[in-house]
Amino acid sequence: MTADTSHADPLRQLTGALPRQVKGWVVEGEDRFFDDKTIFDYIDGSGEVYRAYNLRECLSRVYSKEGGQFIVLDVFDMGTPADAFGVFTHDTDGEAVAIGQDGRWRPGWLNFWKDRYFVSITVQEENPQAFEAALELGRQVGVRILQEGARPKLLERLPQRGLQAGTIRFLHHPIVLNYHFYLSDENILELSPATDAVLATYHRAAGSARLLLVQYPHADAARRAAENIRRHYLPDADADGITRLENERWASARLKDKLLVVVLEAASRESTAELMRETN
Amino acid sequence: MAEKRHVITRRDFLRTGSCVAVGSMIGLPLLEKTAFAATGTSRVVLTRHDGVLDGGGNVRPDILGAMLDAAVAALIQVSDAAAAWRTLVKPGDTVGIKTNFWGSLPTPPALDDAVKQRVLAAGVNPQNIAVDDRGIRSNPVFEKATALINMRPMRTHHWSGLGTLLKNYIMFVPSPWAYHGNACESLGSIWNRPEIKGKTRLNMLVMLTPQFHGIGPHHFSKTYVWTYGGLIVSVDPVAADATGARIIQAKRNLFFGEERPISPPPRHIEAADATYGVGNSRPERIELVKLGWDRDLLI
Repeated sequence: MTADTSHADPLRQLTGALPRQVKGWVVEGEDRFFDDKTIFDYIDGSGEVYRAYNLRECLSRVYSKEGGQFIVLDVFDMGTPADAFGVFTHDTDGEAVAIGQDGRWRPGWLNFWKDRYFVSITVQEENPQAFEAALELGRQVGVRILQEGARPKLLERLPQRGLQAGTIRFLHHPIVLNYHFYLSDENILELSPATDAVLATYHRAAGSARLLLVQYPHADAARRAAENIRRHYLPDADADGITRLENERWASARLKDKLLVVVLEAASRESTAELMRETN
Repeated sequence: MAEKRHVITRRDFLRTGSCVAVGSMIGLPLLEKTAFAATGTSRVVLTRHDGVLDGGGNVRPDILGAMLDAAVAALIQVSDAAAAWRTLVKPGDTVGIKTNFWGSLPTPPALDDAVKQRVLAAGVNPQNIAVDDRGIRSNPVFEKATALINMRPMRTHHWSGLGTLLKNYIMFVPSPWAYHGNACESLGSIWNRPEIKGKTRLNMLVMLTPQFHGIGPHHFSKTYVWTYGGLIVSVDPVAADATGARIIQAKRNLFFGEERPISPPPRHIEAADATYGVGNSRPERIELVKLGWDRDLLI
């Protein structure tokens, strides 16, 4: 199914500039476009991930080579650099490649983000020729996206010491949070497209921990979320707001203006307090 | 957020002892550790044939049909496959055959046809047989089904860790996404819905070219499928899935050269046993019968 969208939109303009052939692979068939409703006709299952990051539109283009090998190019217009970065952080495994922003390669898949776009290039069958073609296609797409995008401001609130950069997840939606860290069956943090959240892992001498930051647009929503997590997740917190969990790890939550700071699964009470103190 | 009902949090799982499943990615060893409610054992038949696919990767229907017959006869423990099918379905049944149409790795049409032919041969009226996937909620045969046959290929899955027989019934519910929480842990609850419970006569996990790893938006690359040439057949979907999951885990470890747990861990298999009582997930509760080609069996 093809979405009916304006020819003046940024993705259509980018599409017109994309290469028609790369290292012997040539465009096969018509380009297809999907929006946040029709994306499920194209991507089964994980289409929800793109919707959770406010997908505007997706271009799907197939390149083929004699012998029936295919390379699939998907360019997702996420509307903002923050959401392009966010959907990129959903899966950050792979080897770094200098393509786009934060390009990653793993056998069969090249992906990166740049400006408001998340770009995915999948090779049907892994071989050296397909690998080279995928990289070249990625480079050509990357340079045709003219601007770089800024990372979400919220990342600047993360303490740097011990931060594991590859574990940073930027998100808005509880289904994405629960994928990376199951918190609860209900949206107790009142996550929404209007809230920015970042989840990251820390490794320090005092042990590992996870840190979740949620930035709310309004103070009342932030207050409700803080009350919810204290009531449902940390009802037994001590005077410092810290709880020892059933698995012998530690957790805490604190509201700092409209920023909710939650330390999860920390190795010690000290590391919990430390992370909480260092997050401003 | 609903205030009246209890909010289930990660800590509930920590308290009830499922914290290992919730808090780590240790994968299939879970299935071998967890206590469960069901009693008795479940028979699972794994049949393989090295020639079930031709040189182009196409299914050879004659061999697949023979594998199916051998597996069903061994499952029911009769010498004659036709008799086995007559045990599974009766002429008065209305039979919904739940297949899977996922584009990259669908249930082979040859298997859909083979099962339908055998149900017909057992005496079921052709008007009372339907093969369907995404249309089952509005399919009149499925709406009045007295018997269900469930079959799909085994593959890794973005939300649930594995696309399993248990997961194949998610199309019976109006809001599939409501089951995505905690790696789709509650999928087993679908099997206890009144319109489904007790109707499934046979489960077939297609292991001809299973997918052991997924990448990208489409969660598929031919890099991560291999020719296993197998079918796993059981009345118990949990036991069949747990068996298939062990094979997938073994293949991942072999391919990556290290322990590479299925991610996210397929908690729903264990939970279908321990929480929902749908079947048996632990190997000691599974009687595994192996037929045919035994090279690189992985289990």
